[in-house]
Amino acid sequence: MPFTVYPAIDMRRGRCVRLRQGRADAETIYFERPAEVALQWQGQGAHWLHIVNLDGALDSAETWSGPNVEALRAILAAVSVPVQFGGGVRTVASVGRLLDLGVARVILGTIAVSEPEVVARALERHGPEQVMVSLDARDGLVATHGWVTSSALPTEEVGERMRALGVRYAVHTDIGRDGMLTGANVAASVALAEQTGLQVIVSGGVATLDDIAASARHAHRGLAGVIVGQALYTDAFTLSEAVQLAAATEPEHSAEGCAGSRDGEGPLE
Amino acid sequence: MSERRPLVVILDYRMGNLRSVQKALQLVGADARIATAPEEAAGADGLVLPGVGAFGDAMANLRDLGFAAAVREAVAAGTPLLGICVGLQVLFRESDEMGQHEGLALLPGRVTRFRPPLVVPHVGWNQIHVRRQHPLVASLEGGEHAYFTHSYFAVPEDEGDIVATTDYGSHFASVVARDKVWGVQFHPEKSWRVGLRLLQDYVNWLRS
Repeated sequence: MPFTVYPAIDMRRGRCVRLRQGRADAETIYFERPAEVALQWQGQGAHWLHIVNLDGALDSAETWSGPNVEALRAILAAVSVPVQFGGGVRTVASVGRLLDLGVARVILGTIAVSEPEVVARALERHGPEQVMVSLDARDGLVATHGWVTSSALPTEEVGERMRALGVRYAVHTDIGRDGMLTGANVAASVALAEQTGLQVIVSGGVATLDDIAASARHAHRGLAGVIVGQALYTDAFTLSEAVQLAAATEPEHSAEGCAGSRDGEGPLE
Repeated sequence: MSERRPLVVILDYRMGNLRSVQKALQLVGADARIATAPEEAAGADGLVLPGVGAFGDAMANLRDLGFAAAVREAVAAGTPLLGICVGLQVLFRESDEMGQHEGLALLPGRVTRFRPPLVVPHVGWNQIHVRRQHPLVASLEGGEHAYFTHSYFAVPEDEGDIVATTDYGSHFASVVARDKVWGVQFHPEKSWRVGLRLLQDYVNWLRS
């Protein structure tokens, strides 16, 4: 899979919103209907969509029949590009249910820290192309439960555990930068990728096309893509520009017959 | 009585990437050793040519260290050879990477670069589409993902040498085989269970 730009659609109560640093009290509502936004991004050249449920755990009949799941169904019915979805997914059953709905890849966040065996079982059942994790960090420590709870676990450590379970892809969010348009933390994402062997998707703080290029330049070091939220909603640049730039950016490393890392202890499992 | 562990010798021609290959081969039942000089490869049940970097450097090192001649002799004597990544590329006749370079010419064909608008390197997990039956892909159903990281790909002259292809722009040859000279463009040692199954098939075949 080539380096991918993921437009983000975060949802609260069925609406597309943006938060600052994940704070519930710093919300701006951008669109009433997420499916319309999704179509807009698809029309502008999105190859994937990144959809996030901000309304808490999907763990009851109530939440499954709530407005965010309804909005997700509408998005899946409207677009043809693959969708990765996360936020509040707590069980293997939920993973299966989302995949049955048509989600291409399910993202597990809190669970990666609190119940890694759920990640393991979900991987067993569905494989690493359909199950991934999100490692969202504040000052290098993974935060969970809507970023309210800070674990004492360094991102790399959780990342290594996930890799050992067979996880292939991980979103890496710098919470402090999320929604703040302060620039993405590419360095930390590259470090995570090189340390763990995970294919890392950069998230948090993308402000200009420079962030897109900076991420794409490190594709050969394990960066699989970049998620863009706020910047698209404030028209800092268009998605088309970002997708085209990513496609045109060659990784810094000289392009060789085999471009892998020489000393790499390649992840076996 | 325990199963025989085939002696697989990994050629160290200073292009890195040896330890993970050795670990992987040991995991699937081979007695995997590293040879830093051609003499150390004597008596191998199978040879492995790993490799990261440029074709030209790879061939220069193989020649300077005496491995190029040793490999040709071993292949002529019937010793199986498995090339990985640039190790697959050097099996062919030539590559246009940074000038024109001659390979080992064990397989007819050439090596060339992915052209724009394709971004190089081709990096990440991509699917292996099996085109014909072969011991190396015996455990694959087809469609499994393996880990690729390369900017050049082989264009075999003989279509019969193509065991599997992968899509990146075009369907390029990701697994090749001609007699006992085999190659994989991806890194099996970085490709999780799929990679290990493939190496297992290689080792099993060496055992038989």
